[in-house]
Amino acid sequence: MNKEKVNKIVLSVIIALICVVLIATILVQFKTVEETDVTAIETMREAELRTSLSEWKSKYNEVSEQLQETTNRISEYEEKTNNEQETKNIVESELAQTNMILGKTDVKGPGVIVTLEDGEKEVVASYLVDLVNELKYAGAEAISINGSRIINTSEIAEINNSYIIINGAKRIASPYEVKAIGDQTYLSSILTLKDSGFIDKYTSDGIIVRLDQKREVQIPKYEGEMEFNYAYEKEDEE
Amino acid sequence: MVLIAIIIGCLIGAIIGIYAPIIPYTYSGYLAIAIIAALDSVFGGINSLLKKNFDLKIFVTGFFGNAILSILLTILGQKLNVDIYLAAIVVFVGRMFNNLASIRRYYLDKWTNRKRTKTEVETEKATEQLEGENKK
Repeated sequence: MNKEKVNKIVLSVIIALICVVLIATILVQFKTVEETDVTAIETMREAELRTSLSEWKSKYNEVSEQLQETTNRISEYEEKTNNEQETKNIVESELAQTNMILGKTDVKGPGVIVTLEDGEKEVVASYLVDLVNELKYAGAEAISINGSRIINTSEIAEINNSYIIINGAKRIASPYEVKAIGDQTYLSSILTLKDSGFIDKYTSDGIIVRLDQKREVQIPKYEGEMEFNYAYEKEDEE
Repeated sequence: MVLIAIIIGCLIGAIIGIYAPIIPYTYSGYLAIAIIAALDSVFGGINSLLKKNFDLKIFVTGFFGNAILSILLTILGQKLNVDIYLAAIVVFVGRMFNNLASIRRYYLDKWTNRKRTKTEVETEKATEQLEGENKK
């Protein structure tokens, strides 16, 4: 009887313990399942993680391809821009050179200054024309008379045998200061040729001619308009 | 007395379960398998109780042993990349259904018998059952 009772108590205790364990475990499990956010990355199952990982990987590849493409395009554009810049530079330098040749820029360089003054005789326009021609022949790159640039369309004309105009309407008077940029020795040697040279010839005619060699001569730009109203570029015949 | 023990145990277990911290989600899979195994053992125990061949040692070792074994099998399955826990669930749930079926049949038989013979047979059976319970 006593033993049976002990057995019964042991049985009850063990069954109670088993109930405790079972119920506690079940409740813990319920709570865990309920409170866990299934969409959170820590609780995702491995297969889901794998799927999303491969998804992200393919997305990453796509995006990096796009990036590559865009970078290529950008470098292409940059190259093009550089090319355009080069072309622009070439055109600009050509333009600057052309402007310089045309006389649209202030220039300076080694050269000579020839001064003509009225002496026993007055200076006439043909003297100046002669002088300019001589200077051009001697290779002068830029010429000015009394601060007015002589370009290929400039004229030197005498009005009423009384005054000289150059470059359209600019009236000049003695002394005439003619500046020229070019090879100093060549310019001066052409001018100072014995007897037939400009200086000898016109000094003997009775005007005062002075020749200065300068290391730096400054010649201003042509200030008039340069425009063609009648002439047009000839089109290529096909 | 056993009934009281069961009720007390369930209450204590509920209190512990409510105040216990939640476990990481990774381990909840193992715990679920263990719970299925333990429930299977419980139903098996009830079934054997009704068939009067209940053994406490078998019950207790089956309860904990099945739980631990199912957890270990699940871990092994993960290492082998085979879903062994599915096999465990199939076996345990299948056995649970079998046990529940025999428990149901037992009570059904008992009810129909009682209805048929309301007199002596009933008292005899009752005493028999009481005796059987006392033995366990």
